[in-house]
Amino acid sequence: MNFNGLSVDQAPPISAPLRFFLTAPLFGVIAGILILLSDTQILTNRYSIDAIIITHAITIGIFAFVMFGALTQMLPVLTGTKIFKVKLVTTLSHTMLVAGLFSMIIGLKFTNNSLSTLAYLLLGTGFFIMILSIGNALRSVKHFTATVKGMTASLVFAFFITVLGVMMLFEYASGNIGERHHIYANIHSVWAIFGFSGLLIIGVAFQVLPMFYVAPHFKRFCKQRVVLLISIGLIIWLVLNSLYDDYSLYAKLWIATFFWAFATTVWLKFNKRKRPVTDVTVWYWRASSIFLTLGSFLWIFDEFFKHEYIVMVAILIGGGFILSIMLGMLYKIVPFLIWFHLNGMGYMKIPTINEMIDKDLAKIQFVLLILSLIGFVFAFYMPKLLAPSASFFIISMLILEYNILAPALLYRRVLKTEPDFDMSAFKTV
Amino acid sequence: MSKNNVQKAKLVSTIKEYLTNDHRRCDEIFAAMEEKASNSLSDAKELAEEFIDDMEHHFQMEERVMFLEFETKTGMTQGPTAMMRQEHTQMRGLMSQILEAIDTENKDKFFGLTETLMILLQQHNMKEEQMLYPMAEQHLSAESERIVSMMDSLIVE
Repeated sequence: MNFNGLSVDQAPPISAPLRFFLTAPLFGVIAGILILLSDTQILTNRYSIDAIIITHAITIGIFAFVMFGALTQMLPVLTGTKIFKVKLVTTLSHTMLVAGLFSMIIGLKFTNNSLSTLAYLLLGTGFFIMILSIGNALRSVKHFTATVKGMTASLVFAFFITVLGVMMLFEYASGNIGERHHIYANIHSVWAIFGFSGLLIIGVAFQVLPMFYVAPHFKRFCKQRVVLLISIGLIIWLVLNSLYDDYSLYAKLWIATFFWAFATTVWLKFNKRKRPVTDVTVWYWRASSIFLTLGSFLWIFDEFFKHEYIVMVAILIGGGFILSIMLGMLYKIVPFLIWFHLNGMGYMKIPTINEMIDKDLAKIQFVLLILSLIGFVFAFYMPKLLAPSASFFIISMLILEYNILAPALLYRRVLKTEPDFDMSAFKTV
Repeated sequence: MSKNNVQKAKLVSTIKEYLTNDHRRCDEIFAAMEEKASNSLSDAKELAEEFIDDMEHHFQMEERVMFLEFETKTGMTQGPTAMMRQEHTQMRGLMSQILEAIDTENKDKFFGLTETLMILLQQHNMKEEQMLYPMAEQHLSAESERIVSMMDSLIVE
């Protein structure tokens, strides 16, 4: 029987998740600068090199990093398992992903094939190390809750999108773009958004909403079936999109309906929550529900307009839904992590988690992010909006970095002092 | 123990269900306490005391009954129950600070502490509900009714 999740050493070393969280906003800043240096015309083409680079600075640099950090941290609590040699795995994978992402950005931007080659090697290895390590930890889970199912399905999609990503980057590096490149790119992006990120968010929401906000539990049907139904929808979409594209709209409708239903459910759960406290994390959940609803509808609508609005869909769902929820979660996870580790070491007189993050700055950060997202959407019609929106995005990411760095620095400061209690008596064998 | 809970105890017989229901009941008092406190801290004092009393009752049901039974049966005194006891200590510390914050009318401190307690409490509950209670069920299923009845009649020390 596995007791890892309950032992005193249950939590991974704080550096394991923190390294991912601390790096994420910096890639946001890089993405913002790249947008600032780009122009609307180029960005409206999803297959332009600039659009690909910016998308991956955000999807790998922020989304994947936050998801990996959160999974590292939540695995022991949610599943009772932990990643084998977690410190080594996270250090190795994080280093490879950071170096790989930089290589990809520079390699693609300046058509440097050696760097692009390095990029697919590093990114591929970095992703596979994390995915396989988490997958391996999940193998020993005895109690398969809805959240664990969401995590597992998400990881399976992550595995396949990594394979596709490596293949496509290999094509760029070798200068030999295959005929089916755009089909692979489409599968890669849809599975990344709805499979890897979407399913993980849904799985975690089942647990987090009742937990942090005392919101009503999700219905049994949602918890038992939704992850499976969406996964089936994504597989059907893959087949239709690859072989019978005329019919892929039906699979899209299937997927979009579930995500729209999820957005509505989240909104209603928040209305019915028993915990009345409203903070920036609630704002983020609310915003993500609105953006996901708009994004799901536009994704369907876009089908009738030759995919003219697909970048707008990506902003609404990627930025508005996924990014919003992730940032909302970060504001809960990071200060708690710091508090939990310090308290566990016997430090009692430490700031509460609300005091670790400047609440006003967090609100400003939220407003700037939402303004930048709205600006990016409307920049399609008013290109002049692109530069101010990119600036708002950069400032928002800088504030986010400060808000994560401040508690991390506090941790280091407190560690240099003597603990209030000697906790060694609590150590288990 | 409230009448309501006693009735629940009669209806449910498994350790897992009984203690999980008690978690949910404490969550609801916690939420009500926060709601009251958002208007006035002093108005929330009564609910805060009720919440802390109920939490203490819950902790003692585990520490003095269920954990002991589990430890005797499995021989594991330094395993999962030791960790849960440690987290109970952490929560007791936070709860006493919550009462201090009410007495000193420090709203910021109060909500900082409740937020911290909420997350600590929820991740603690999750570990118990998803790992420890199922383990307890597995080892103590034959004595489930007796253990629930002992927990139900426990008087807080």
